[in-house]
Amino acid sequence: MSSLVAPLRPAVINADRLYVGLGWLAGAIGFALPLSIVGYLLIEGVGRLSWDFLLLPPMGYPLGTAGGIAPAILGSLALVGLGLVIALPLAVASAVGLSEYADPAGMAAKTMRFATESLAAVPAVLYGLFGYTVFVVFCRFQISLLSGALTLGLVMLPIILIGTHAALQAVEFELRESVLALGVSRAHAVRRLFLPRVLPSIVAVTVLAAGHAFGSAAPVMFTASVAYARGVPALDAPVMTLPTHLYYIVSEAIDLEQAYGTALVLVLGLLCTNVLALLLRRWLER
Amino acid sequence: MIPPRSAGCDVGAVAAPARGGRADGLLRLGCWTALATVALTLGALVLLICHEAWPAVSSPEKLWTLLVGQDWAPLLEPPRLGIRHAIVSTVMVTALSLALAVPLGFGIGLFVAELAPRWIRSLLQPCFELLAGIPSVVYGFFGYVTLVAWFERYGHMATGESLLVASIVLAIMVLPFIASVSGEAFAAVPEGLRQAAYSVGVTRWHVARRILFRAAMPGLFAAVALGLARAVGETLAVLLLAGNSTALPTSLLDRGQPLTALIATELPEAGVDTAKYHALYAAGLVLLVLTGIINLIVWRLKGRIVVGHGGGG
Repeated sequence: MSSLVAPLRPAVINADRLYVGLGWLAGAIGFALPLSIVGYLLIEGVGRLSWDFLLLPPMGYPLGTAGGIAPAILGSLALVGLGLVIALPLAVASAVGLSEYADPAGMAAKTMRFATESLAAVPAVLYGLFGYTVFVVFCRFQISLLSGALTLGLVMLPIILIGTHAALQAVEFELRESVLALGVSRAHAVRRLFLPRVLPSIVAVTVLAAGHAFGSAAPVMFTASVAYARGVPALDAPVMTLPTHLYYIVSEAIDLEQAYGTALVLVLGLLCTNVLALLLRRWLER
Repeated sequence: MIPPRSAGCDVGAVAAPARGGRADGLLRLGCWTALATVALTLGALVLLICHEAWPAVSSPEKLWTLLVGQDWAPLLEPPRLGIRHAIVSTVMVTALSLALAVPLGFGIGLFVAELAPRWIRSLLQPCFELLAGIPSVVYGFFGYVTLVAWFERYGHMATGESLLVASIVLAIMVLPFIASVSGEAFAAVPEGLRQAAYSVGVTRWHVARRILFRAAMPGLFAAVALGLARAVGETLAVLLLAGNSTALPTSLLDRGQPLTALIATELPEAGVDTAKYHALYAAGLVLLVLTGIINLIVWRLKGRIVVGHGGGG
C-alpha cells in the first residue's frame, strides 16, 4: 500500500539516525565517566585501605609515606561539624525570614535572594581569601580550626539558605492560608507545621552542603590546614584535612599509593554520607 | 487574578493571633537578625576584596600594569606583579573546557529529555550527582595519575601538566551541571510544540534542531553560564594539572597558572599589606567581577525561562 505522504529523503532519515545514535553515545558517556572514575579509584585504592590507614597518623620520611590519615579525617569532620553549627541555624532562620516575613515582591527580599545566589556562585578560593584576611589576620584566630570552620560555614550558608527557602516556598498555598486563617501565630505555624514539613529537604540540602565543604580544599588551605597535626582537633590549633592532605601528598610527589587511599576514603565517605542522607530523608518523609 | 503564592502570609495579619504573639515577635526578630547577618557577611566579602585590591587597581596606569603590562616576578627588585599570564591561562582553560563540555552536555541533556527510556533517565540522575559530588582535589588527583602520566609517556613533554590536561578534567567537572540544566531546559519545552511538529511528519532531529534548541535557548544559555562560572572558579584541579608556571602561555600544550591557582600558590607566601598581597586580591577581584557578571546573566535568564513555559520554574 502506498503512503499518502511523500517519503522522507534518505539524507533526512540518515541525519535522524545519526542524531539518535549520537544521543545514545552521549548518554553512554554520561554513564561511563562517573563509574569509571569511581571504579578506577576503587581498584587502585582499595588495597591501601586498612584499619591502620584509618586510625594512624601520617608517618615515615618524608612525612606521609607511611602510617595513615586519622588526623585528616578528624580534622575534616571537626571543620564541617563546627561549620554546620554556625551555618545551619543562620541559614534556616534567614530562609524562614525571607519566605515567611519578607514581602516577596519587595526590594529587600529580591536583593537578598540575588545576593544569596551570588554568594553561592563565588569561587571557593575567594572564601579562602576572605577567611584568611578576616578570621586569620584581622580577628587574630590564626590558622586554626575556628578560622576554617567559620570560613566553611560561609561556604555552606548560601547553599542551605537557598534550598530551605525553595522548600518553604513549595509548601502549599492552601495549607498556608488555612492554618493562618485558624488564627494561630506565624511562629506557631512555622514551628509546628512548615518546618516539620520541609525537614526532609533541609536534611538533603544540608548533607549536600556539608559534602561540598568536606571535599573542598580551597577555603581551608589558608585558614585551617597544615601538613601535619596530631591529637584531637582543638579550636585554636590548626588541623589536617582530607582534601588538603591529598593535595599535599600529590603536589609534593610524596607517595601515590597513600594518595589513592586518601582519595578513596574521601570519595567513599561522601558516598556513604549521601546514601545515609537519602535513607534518612525517606524515613522522615514517611 | 490569583494572588502570588506567598501573599497568603498576610492572612495572618488581619487579626492578632489568639496565642503566641510574643513567640511570633521573637521568631520575627531572630529571622531578621539572621538575614541581616547574612547580608552583612556578603557585603563584607565584596567590600573586603575591593578594599584589599584597591592599592593595586587605584589608577588606570596601575590597572593597566596589573592586567596587561607586566609579567609575574615577585622576587625581583622592584617586584613585577602583573597577572596577565593568569588571565590568559584562565581564558584558555575555561574556553577549551566549555568547548569540550557544552556539546557533550547538550547531547546528554537532549538524550535525557527526548531519547532515553524512563528507567535509563532515572539511572543517569544519580550518575550526574556522583560526578558533581566528587571533590575538585580528587579530580585533580585523578587527572594527575591518568592524563598527566599519559602525556608524560607519550606526549614527548618534559612534564605532563598542561593547560590542555586541566581543560579536559575541568570539562568533566562542569559536564554534570551543563547536562542537568540543559536537560531541564529541553524537558520544559511545551509538549504541544513537539506534538504539533511530529504530527506533520518531521524527524526527531528536525524537532531537536528547529524547535527544542530554539525554545530552550534561555535555559541553554543558563547552563553554559553556570558551567562557565564553575570553570572560572575551579581551584584545586587546575592547581594540580595546569603546571603552575608563571610564563605567558602561548599554546594549550604550555603550562600555565589560572587566576585561582595563582592565588592559592602565592597567598601563603605573601605578607599582609605587601604589594604582592594586594596584587593577589586584585586577581581575586577579577574573579569576583567575572563570576558576578555571569551570575547576573543567569539571574536574568531565569526570569525568561519561567516565562517561556508558563510558570512553574
